[in-house]
Amino acid sequence: MSPDTLRGRAAIVGVGLTPQGKLPGSTNLSLQTDAFTLALADAGLGKSDIDGLLSEPGTTDMHWALDYLRLGRALGINPLYTGSFAMGGATAAALVQLAAMAVTSGMATYVACCFGDAAKTGKRRPLQAAGGYLGDETANNAAWGAFGAATWSALTASRHMALYGTTSEQLGEVAVAARRHAALNPAAMMRTPITVADHQRSRMIVEPFRLLDCCQVSDGGACVIVTTAERARDLARPAVTIEGMGQAFTTQDHECPDWWYGPHQKLAVERAYKMAGRGPRDVQVAQLYDNFTISVILWLEHAGFCAAGEGGPFTENGRIQLGGALPVNTHGGHLSAGHPQGWWTLAEGVRQVRGEGGPRQVPGAETCLVAGRGLVLNTASALILAKG
Amino acid sequence: MAGPHTSRPGAQPAPKPLPVVNDENRPFWAGAARGQLCMQRCLACGHIRFPIQALCPRCIGGDFEWATLSGRAEVLAKVVYHRAFHPSYAADVPYNLVLVQLAEGPRMYGNVVGEDRDEVTVGDLVDAVFEPADGLYVPRFRKIGAN
Repeated sequence: MSPDTLRGRAAIVGVGLTPQGKLPGSTNLSLQTDAFTLALADAGLGKSDIDGLLSEPGTTDMHWALDYLRLGRALGINPLYTGSFAMGGATAAALVQLAAMAVTSGMATYVACCFGDAAKTGKRRPLQAAGGYLGDETANNAAWGAFGAATWSALTASRHMALYGTTSEQLGEVAVAARRHAALNPAAMMRTPITVADHQRSRMIVEPFRLLDCCQVSDGGACVIVTTAERARDLARPAVTIEGMGQAFTTQDHECPDWWYGPHQKLAVERAYKMAGRGPRDVQVAQLYDNFTISVILWLEHAGFCAAGEGGPFTENGRIQLGGALPVNTHGGHLSAGHPQGWWTLAEGVRQVRGEGGPRQVPGAETCLVAGRGLVLNTASALILAKG
Repeated sequence: MAGPHTSRPGAQPAPKPLPVVNDENRPFWAGAARGQLCMQRCLACGHIRFPIQALCPRCIGGDFEWATLSGRAEVLAKVVYHRAFHPSYAADVPYNLVLVQLAEGPRMYGNVVGEDRDEVTVGDLVDAVFEPADGLYVPRFRKIGAN
């Protein structure tokens, strides 16, 4: 059976997004359950409709494989299909894909995909080398002072700049676009507009990244409910169908010569396009995981909006802003809105296709690309969403 | 040089996390103490791998030998930490981290040390040096030429 047979057969029917930011007293679990309640209400469903439960453990509990069990107990749900998955920023779109496979195969009827992370005020991750969560030789990256989540993307930016002449100002264009969109989003954390000059004045963090190249850290939860496209037609909200799905992974970062460029990210988007029978020219709006500014530039290339090496110039002249050729991260992205690990980009994709974007709605947004990446640049997932 | 393992006079910095030496990686660190960069070479397919792991990621062969590499490498990417993400590095910022391509194939992280450390750029050629750090010797690199 070709994956193409799943084209358009599953749909997202409910989205729940808690406040994102500094939420003292919240926990990974409370944020998951809050988001679940919001998504149920959005979909017009009851708890008893949900027979599939997928979860992404919060980043502070990433290895906690029993996350699904804690969530099921808290919600009083005995699912027919469940599990927890940790793929960093690729998890959100990957869970939607697992849910789509479950509902189209009949393993479940309504699957809730949940995430909660008290990353800002909750339990802190232990201080360890960048990538040290793998618990193997990677922990020895500490020998070279490799600490902090910016490490991998800064290496990517360094090489992209050297090979293609990408400039810090072009990274700044990504930050400016995100902030302009966040200014239109009352739920975003950082809403004061910025200029490229502001970006250039912001302090160096991990060169070539300045402060304004780095995303927010936030507490927040999110939940998305998936069912078949057929059932979706009878529900409260305009159905958003899943036309294309793709995932790909580069597990052995050092063993892959062009790992820094994210070959798996390109593969994930290409697989999603193929299933959807659509390409970059069919996409009116894109929600691209932006933990750091360079990430958007790479996605623009991976997703075929421009050629390899041309992502920097593509960001200029407002091209990725509302009103531009391809508005990107219309809610403000992880850079300005908040950092629920790819879940807000997913939720915003659904809202744009529904036409619920309000002042930040992209006119005629029929098709949206949602793409996520994560961990030591190891994981990638992509969805093509469309009006049902 | 004010590299990652140099402390400021008078300061009492938190100890730097050091590699955990175990049976699997001991030949790498023993090699570094002798001034040699040693990595696993698969006896089945000849692939030299890094980081250190039990199986060859190319052919999943379990038999290997420790090969001594030239230490020559090209800088693939370079970043400079202006903020210490671990308190033990507070006195070291700004310091660099490079991803290098070794002449024999594998890639690894390192720091460029020496006079040219601030000027080193992507594409530069470097050579391994071994610096003492609390009983271990850590491989780092110095610039030997431009690309």
